[in-house]
Amino acid sequence: MVLRNRNSNMGILPRLAVAFAACFMAVAAQTPDLSGVWSPYRGGRGADPKLAAPMPTPLVLKPEYVKPYEERRKAEAESNSRGEQLASKAVQCIPYGMPTMMSVAIYPVEFIQTPKQVTIISEAFSEVRRVYMGVPQAAIGDVAPGYYGRSVGKWDGDTLVVDTVGIKPSVNGYRGMPHSDQMRITERIRLVAPDYLHDEITITDPTILEKPVTYTNAYKRMPNYEMVEFVCDNNREYVDEKGVVRLQVHDK
Amino acid sequence: MNLRKLLLSGALAALPALAHHSFTMFDMTKKVTLVGSITSFEWTNPHSYIEIDVPDAQGATKHWSIEMGSPSILLQSGWKFNSLRKGDKTTLIINPLRSGNAGGFLFLATLPDGRMLTNGPAQPQQ
Repeated sequence: MVLRNRNSNMGILPRLAVAFAACFMAVAAQTPDLSGVWSPYRGGRGADPKLAAPMPTPLVLKPEYVKPYEERRKAEAESNSRGEQLASKAVQCIPYGMPTMMSVAIYPVEFIQTPKQVTIISEAFSEVRRVYMGVPQAAIGDVAPGYYGRSVGKWDGDTLVVDTVGIKPSVNGYRGMPHSDQMRITERIRLVAPDYLHDEITITDPTILEKPVTYTNAYKRMPNYEMVEFVCDNNREYVDEKGVVRLQVHDK
Repeated sequence: MNLRKLLLSGALAALPALAHHSFTMFDMTKKVTLVGSITSFEWTNPHSYIEIDVPDAQGATKHWSIEMGSPSILLQSGWKFNSLRKGDKTTLIINPLRSGNAGGFLFLATLPDGRMLTNGPAQPQQ
């Protein structure tokens, strides 16, 4: 039976379309819009402690990984004290990858949010990651190891929850930690105030970590900021035979 | 903004940010003043560079390569891609390389129009 309002010539299909549109808009209104450019918001002097990142949990490696990790950190500290920074991949303009790319010095990150995909771009090294919304995650072994892995997302109320697997073990880890191909990164991204964003990152790695480690990157909105390109076409740093970073100076 | 105001503002109180290496190769405790003529201003990544010829009292010229932050960082403290041009007479205060080579890291530049620009915003600065 077709219901028709005598006072309107609008049929049932247009009415349904309007109703669906209203429902969609209502759902959309409940989903925060993270789109925009965000600058890392550090704690410390002048920062609002309620908006700054909370303290991270301890990084607890399995016993067999503790000694090599600490030896590397000690070697870096000793070399720095001599004024000789040890080489890193970043010195050679190799991108950071996940999760480091989410907060590099003061470089902004841009979120572009659509219903099916959230795209995140870091200004440093122009790194790009894509979060596919509402689709299942693949098995770790089915994702080609890379710098950004495969990320899928879903909304948990006002929080964007992102699951990432498939990070290549050679990619720089959180605080320089080693990680295996079993590493999984879970992010809970939400607005803590209209112009402040938190990305709570939990790393699990049953091979390397005794227990998961959680830390948070905090951001402040940069209204009207236009992202700057970052192409490494003039890298004058080089690594000498001792593995130390040097600067190439020009004669003229 | 003059140097006194810059110092009072705290803008120089902390080190600027680098994307891909530390300041280790530069002696951040020392400052050298270079007064010379720009031979090139390279607005590039991962760093921008100022190439400058600096004459000495005897009439000889020494060339220096001065590293800066990236364009992204420099934009946040007032620099533009054309802030310096070949031939500009400029004064630079730098932190020299520990190696003794004629290079350094920019601390403060005085542009031909008198503006004084730092090497990117202090970190952290919100």
